Amino acid sequence: MLAPTPQNPKGVVRKTALWSGILAVAAIYLFATRPEPLVDSRTSERSVPVEKVFRILAAENATMRTLWTAEIVSAGMKAGLRFDEKWRDPAVAAGPLPALFLRESATALQKTRVPLGLFLGSDYPIAQSNLFTGEQAERFKRVRATGTPEFFNATDIGRYTAMFADVAVAPGCVSCHNGHPNSPKTDWKLKDIMGATTWSYPKDKVTIEEALQIIAALRSGFAAAYGGYLTKAATFEKPPEVGERWPRDGYYLPTRETFMREFERRASANTVDRLLQAFE
Amino acid sequence: MSPPAPDPPSERSIKVVAYVLGGVVASATIAAIVVVPQAARFHAKGPPNTGHDALACADCHKDAPGTMREQLQAKVQFWLGLRATDAAFGHVPVGNEQCTGCHARDQDSHPVHRFLEPRFSEARAELGAESCASCHREHKGVRVTMILTACATCHQNLEVKRDPLDVSHRELVARKEWTSCLGCHDFHGNHNRVIQTRVDAAYPTSTIIDYLAGGPSPYGRDMKYPTKRGAQ
Repeated sequence: MLAPTPQNPKGVVRKTALWSGILAVAAIYLFATRPEPLVDSRTSERSVPVEKVFRILAAENATMRTLWTAEIVSAGMKAGLRFDEKWRDPAVAAGPLPALFLRESATALQKTRVPLGLFLGSDYPIAQSNLFTGEQAERFKRVRATGTPEFFNATDIGRYTAMFADVAVAPGCVSCHNGHPNSPKTDWKLKDIMGATTWSYPKDKVTIEEALQIIAALRSGFAAAYGGYLTKAATFEKPPEVGERWPRDGYYLPTRETFMREFERRASANTVDRLLQAFE
Repeated sequence: MSPPAPDPPSERSIKVVAYVLGGVVASATIAAIVVVPQAARFHAKGPPNTGHDALACADCHKDAPGTMREQLQAKVQFWLGLRATDAAFGHVPVGNEQCTGCHARDQDSHPVHRFLEPRFSEARAELGAESCASCHREHKGVRVTMILTACATCHQNLEVKRDPLDVSHRELVARKEWTSCLGCHDFHGNHNRVIQTRVDAAYPTSTIIDYLAGGPSPYGRDMKYPTKRGAQ
């Protein structure tokens, strides 16, 4: 213990001892005999680049796009169902066109706790608000030229981002865009890259649990979007029969469970394979 | 100069008791204000925004995970570079999730998540459009805190091909009549109504300013997606 001296009077000794004690207590409180630390989500489990999950999501989306466009929209139009860009208008007895189905899914996705972003855009969009600008426009040029996805970090929002080509998969995509009065391009052909889906997530790496949550969130978005269509279809003057049958069988719509079961049948094997490869 | 004479023992005791009593009363008052729900208005940053009067603090301000000690330790570790992510202390910062928890809509002409797309960087930089609170800063006692001319950030090149308006949107943009937008358009498109097709039928700017400040809605009360608590 320090003894009081002319250079180190009693008061200074006391103050030094007091502050030493306070610091010691603070150090013990903060470091020693510490309780279970809060989980640090970035380091607790093995993780893979989010890029791999984006590829899985894009494949899931491509499967849904084909299912919706071919089995509901194209077959439905032949069976007497209508699809319209103003389908949300109560006076319009119609369902969402493929791009709007994707937007519905993206909106529903936001209701989950998973911070996954999904957007659809183009360099020739029907709605001006979907026009790519800035870095997205530059990236999309490369997507259009190569057909391969682009991955980048949108630093101002701290989001890892991917852009995947959105291809005209059915004659309806081409005819609708070519014939639309607000379309800035009217010579689209089947298999053309008409735009791109943009996916974003705030982390560069994800754990297997997060990857599963992200995929589940996208699927719940799809299910919610289809549920929204069924709700609207129930308001039609002549509602289609909802059950096990599909529009290819006539004026029918599958239930939400039937629709999602068919989607899962088409998508799940590929998704499981990709997950196993990513985390092996 | 000689130092002042120390207080006699009895005076010193009275002082100590007074300090202790004062400390106890002050601590009890602070604790009561913090803990008792009815006293929330004393430590809130300001009056609740329009339609939020019935909300309790905890409806938006959720407790952060962990004990206070765990939170402090996590923070110190983060500052020292021993932990990858920061931890919230006390309460989790209020984010869009708390807003959309009540204001959930299947359709929104300006959904906040849309602004997280990379190309809306200008809207994020100028307006903070990716956050509900950028336009609806809470505890201001109003409905909207954003300036009336914010539409200019994104819609400078607006062109409507089959323009239904008697004065074209392009002309209104050229005239920089940005205060007129909300005279016809409800920003989130959440009201069942017919949008005007004549500029002279637009609601006056003073009416819109009054509405943003918490006044009556010129767009009516027929909401497409009412909030869980019925706010307008």
